[in-house]
Amino acid sequence: SSHEHRLNFKKSKEACLSYIQDAMLQKQWKRAAEFLTCYVESLEKDYSREPIGPSEMIWRIGTEILCHHSHSSMKEFNCFMEQMKTLGVKRYLKVCLEHVFHLLCNGQIDEAYQNLSLAESWRYGEQTAIQDKEMKLIQAYRGLLDYYSWSKQKNILLEHGLDGFADLSVEQEMHSCFRKAAVNLKEIIKIPGVWDLFVKCYVDLLEFYGDHNEACQVLNEYAYNSKFPANPNAHVYLYQFLKRQGESKKSLISALKILHDIVPSHELMIDFNTMLQKSKKRKKRRLGLEVIFAALDYAGWKENVKAWSCLARQVKQIVISKKHLDWIKQEWNSRKDWWPAFHFSRYLAKRNWQENKSLSYEKALVAGILLGKDCKYFKYVSHQGCKAQVKRFRMLKKFVNRHNPVYLRISG
Amino acid sequence: MEFPAALFPSYFGAGPPREEGGPALAAGWGERGQVLEGSPGRRQQAQPAFVPRRGGTGETWDPAEAAAVPVLPPSAGRWIPSPALQDILYRNNVCRKLRAGRSGATLDFAKQLGHFFVDHPEDAFGSMGRLLHKNFYLGNSKLKRPARSSTIRMTALMKDIDRLEARRGCHRQHLASRLRWFSHLCRDWLFEVPLGLLADCLHEELLLQWSDLLFDDSLTGGALAWLPSGDAGSRMGRLVHPGGQAMNHLFFQDVVLEELPHGRGCPAQFELSGRIRQVAAARVDGEDFVGVRSDYHCGVWRVPGRTGSAPAPLQVIRTDVPASCLTVSPHLPGELAVCTESGTVYLWSVETGLQQLRHDPQTMFFRDHSPWRWSDFTAHPRVLSCADRTGLQCLDARAPKKCHFDLFKVGEEAGCQQGERVVLPMYLGRAHPSQYLVTTQFSVYVLDERLPLVPVLKWPHMMKAPPLFAHLMPGDPGRTHKVLLGASRTQELLLLQYRGGSQSACQLAGAPQKLHSITGCLQHLPTQLPHHHHLLQQRLGAPAAGLAATLQKDRTCETMLVFQLSEAGDVFCQRLTHEAARPPAPTSRDEATTAPGSSPLFEEPASSPLGLGTAVLRYHRWLKVLFRGCRKPSQRSLPPSLSQRRLFTRKDLEGPTGPTALQRQVQQWLRQVMREGGHIQHWEPLALQPPALPQLPEPEGALDLLSTRLTAAWSGDWEQWWEDRTSFSVAQRQRALRERRRRQKRARGRRSLSASFTSSLTYQSELSELSDAGPPQLYRGHPHVLSQEGSPAASSPLPGSPPASPAPDEALLSSQSLRCRGIPKERRKTLRDYLSVWAEAPPEPPELPGSQASQLCIPSSQSQLSSASQTRRKRPRMGF
Repeated sequence: SSHEHRLNFKKSKEACLSYIQDAMLQKQWKRAAEFLTCYVESLEKDYSREPIGPSEMIWRIGTEILCHHSHSSMKEFNCFMEQMKTLGVKRYLKVCLEHVFHLLCNGQIDEAYQNLSLAESWRYGEQTAIQDKEMKLIQAYRGLLDYYSWSKQKNILLEHGLDGFADLSVEQEMHSCFRKAAVNLKEIIKIPGVWDLFVKCYVDLLEFYGDHNEACQVLNEYAYNSKFPANPNAHVYLYQFLKRQGESKKSLISALKILHDIVPSHELMIDFNTMLQKSKKRKKRRLGLEVIFAALDYAGWKENVKAWSCLARQVKQIVISKKHLDWIKQEWNSRKDWWPAFHFSRYLAKRNWQENKSLSYEKALVAGILLGKDCKYFKYVSHQGCKAQVKRFRMLKKFVNRHNPVYLRISG
Repeated sequence: MEFPAALFPSYFGAGPPREEGGPALAAGWGERGQVLEGSPGRRQQAQPAFVPRRGGTGETWDPAEAAAVPVLPPSAGRWIPSPALQDILYRNNVCRKLRAGRSGATLDFAKQLGHFFVDHPEDAFGSMGRLLHKNFYLGNSKLKRPARSSTIRMTALMKDIDRLEARRGCHRQHLASRLRWFSHLCRDWLFEVPLGLLADCLHEELLLQWSDLLFDDSLTGGALAWLPSGDAGSRMGRLVHPGGQAMNHLFFQDVVLEELPHGRGCPAQFELSGRIRQVAAARVDGEDFVGVRSDYHCGVWRVPGRTGSAPAPLQVIRTDVPASCLTVSPHLPGELAVCTESGTVYLWSVETGLQQLRHDPQTMFFRDHSPWRWSDFTAHPRVLSCADRTGLQCLDARAPKKCHFDLFKVGEEAGCQQGERVVLPMYLGRAHPSQYLVTTQFSVYVLDERLPLVPVLKWPHMMKAPPLFAHLMPGDPGRTHKVLLGASRTQELLLLQYRGGSQSACQLAGAPQKLHSITGCLQHLPTQLPHHHHLLQQRLGAPAAGLAATLQKDRTCETMLVFQLSEAGDVFCQRLTHEAARPPAPTSRDEATTAPGSSPLFEEPASSPLGLGTAVLRYHRWLKVLFRGCRKPSQRSLPPSLSQRRLFTRKDLEGPTGPTALQRQVQQWLRQVMREGGHIQHWEPLALQPPALPQLPEPEGALDLLSTRLTAAWSGDWEQWWEDRTSFSVAQRQRALRERRRRQKRARGRRSLSASFTSSLTYQSELSELSDAGPPQLYRGHPHVLSQEGSPAASSPLPGSPPASPAPDEALLSSQSLRCRGIPKERRKTLRDYLSVWAEAPPEPPELPGSQASQLCIPSSQSQLSSASQTRRKRPRMGF
């Protein structure tokens, strides 16, 4: 009966698919390709109502095999892709996009551009939400490629401009590229998402043409719109823009303060700390101490000499001036139960000393002040330093011994 | 910590998952995802270079052997497979045809209930049977008139039952009117246990087993850990794995990494009193901390980094609700995260104890019925992640109520599918301090906690079963990080590679690769005898229970060793070699399909003849031990008989100075009874001296039914007891039964693991009962005494009352402990009487399984035997 026939057909189809899958997962691309030629038959009787039908399977599997097969060429790949595009209306844009990605990764920028233009002009009935998203991406990528050709022409122009020779047609083409790029890029960055690449390019365009207000607005929107994910890069771009614009310290600090709030472990926190330490305001220096303590909480900063020297410098300053010891005390309070084991164990003292002497110097200074001269870390490092007759370690020992009462005040 | 200067483009939407679609076989192939400019600095010279999110080039790792090879000899003692589909499901041809159109399984409820009646007739109908036995006639001849009025002829009834059996599945069963009449008549009173209640309990248990069979999340995380040697360049390491029949022994086995890894020396062994579900390990300050989770206990061991140093148990905690997660901090020594199924998350520090971070029986982002919870550490030592099936949240242990953020949500944010659920989260700190892995049944995600909610990598893994195990092998700068994913029931193993996270955005590198499963070796083994083949099939097909791996660098080549643990306790290993460093080897095997019995493992020359030889040799040895082990129990399965010689030595029987008058009398009795072959019930206990009689146990408060009945039977007024009992209201009986059932449920698996630790702490955080945790020293004097508390039917002492520890002899005589030793019921009394007479010289207990060699490795304080492995010898039947 037809039902039974369907059932059997489905079974053999599934078996074939599992063979293909098995071969691919063991990187036996040739074998997988052979099975795939059998599987193509399943297209003829596509009864399935599953989300991923046979045509999509063939597209996915075929692409993967062609990417890895030793005898495949770019020409074959393009040919296969063209066939796949005609196979399913629903997936047309997706297949186009993936094809473009493949071309881009293989350096065929012009072919990719052609494909993007072609896909952009594609129309078929009502667009679904997913298709709408895909279309926006296609436009954005086309904008990106326009931006690249703009920047290429800009470079030519700048070089020739130095020679005192300007080509009008090049300039015109450059401007048209700008317009095309700007329109498409502007469109995508309105939608919530991660658009680092597109935002950077768009801001570069705007900055070149002197539209700083628009650039600033775009970056602010990207960083502070609550519908967007909390992307640290958005804040970094804003900070870098403000820095380029020569904005005041205050606005730079406020930009970094927000970055500190969302990612206390960001690499810019060193810059932030140095900026704050230099400040004359007490409140800012206090914030600086907070920032560097918070950064050193993270496992990724454990062996960062720069960060430790920042902390050591500030702590030393405070101890010498004998003002604001309560700042250290407050920061230390929430850390004293786990920093000793996390940063200042004897094991770490040994390893730091062996691997990085200057790191162990900075850490020993901090340990000596926070935990007193009897702390394991300080004792080991200063002992080793004195044994090796390094001057600064002897100074360190003297300094900590002299300021030992500070430890009592902090811990008390 | 650097953050990538630009991330791959992606949409971000909030809300429930929109994408429809179930598990698709090819969903992971053929996509590049997105592209990004590779190296922005060099754009000036030429065209921009793009890199894809997926499908970049990865490293090539080729399997060195055709199949996984056993690392350790098979564990002694027969493995008891957990219930399979066919044990639980109803399989009837008629039914199957009727239900072909409908999906859904039918649990074979009747069969399981039948098992109970057949296996425990005493418990099911004991007293009624004895009362009524005069009224049942078992002969074939016709009954005479006076008897006929009060007697039923059972043979006719039996015939009807047989006929019914033959007609099973037929819907016209009303023909068996006599049976209907009989069952109608006696349904209410024949059963010792009220039938409705029994059926309820059984059904509940069946459902539980069935859901476990579909997806058992108690194994999440895996019970295998690899501790690399502390000395750089050493070719040693240590495997931590469970073993034993009940998987309740913890082994620390030294392993030498040669051509094929093999165990060295005797493993350090600890006996715990619960099945080990998870073994987690992390290295802090050169020392390994190993966390072990069983259902109601979690323990932590410290293993110094030096090779050959002994592992030291540190602490154990007990929970009232099963624990679902235990992870070890990679930042601070002796810190762990514990979750229980009641939705509680603890930070457990060996020094300061437990700190409750969260208690919420509800799931975080939307409603999901699963009580599974997970927790792991993050880049900040004071911030922990908490997960349930709906997503992950990070919370600060210093202010858990106030400071938290969402790391991952099953929803539109991460581009999830409908019905997708979190299966296993894992902190990837060794690859990058802020990276996190989350697996679901469909996909695998890499997250960066600096950019929460947006996965930096997503890939549909296409595995048939959800990946319950994962293992990370971080790569050096410039190399890829390798992630292994493992599934339990299907034994699938998948190797993924990715790079990036600090300077460049995360990319999936190369195509994913399937590694050998344990069952895969079956086709390479030489042809076996049918029953051996069946045994092997069952053994090798056991679900996987853990995963570990290590990278080994040599002068010339780099190898990856992947260890896989099966539920039977076998550890298998496979080797992969890195292409770049490997001398060109024949890889033509690629396209060859292998037929059973003719395999490259055993016949084809491989790249290194030595490797081939050792692998084959290893298999031969393993098979030999396995088959030898399986022969033994067949002898053992004969009903154990007690010979007089075993019970009493010659010396005992004769005595050096000749038997005393009492002894002589008893001997006489004994001989007479044996000569007559009579029942020991005719023994007249009154003829003996009073002290020889075991004291009647004082009825202490609420004794359970069984005990009171036994007590009554013991003192001889059983009939009186029955009279009292029949007037017992049914409601009361039901209440008592419910109580018993509840107690049994609670007692299951909650035996004192603490006995195997030198220091044990009990926290009252979740109402831990203090009563049954006696100090381990208590048992030291009587290491072989089987304590009563472990046996399933034993009543737990009343809370508040001092722990009732029976004198050793009494414990020995209790019917439970006798049953534990396999002594048949009818001989128990004989034995009891013997023993009570010879109380001055208690006989040697029957030999207990467990070799001398393994006992030598147990520190003296840990040699207490728990009864767990004793009571579980029988294949578990549903519900009982």
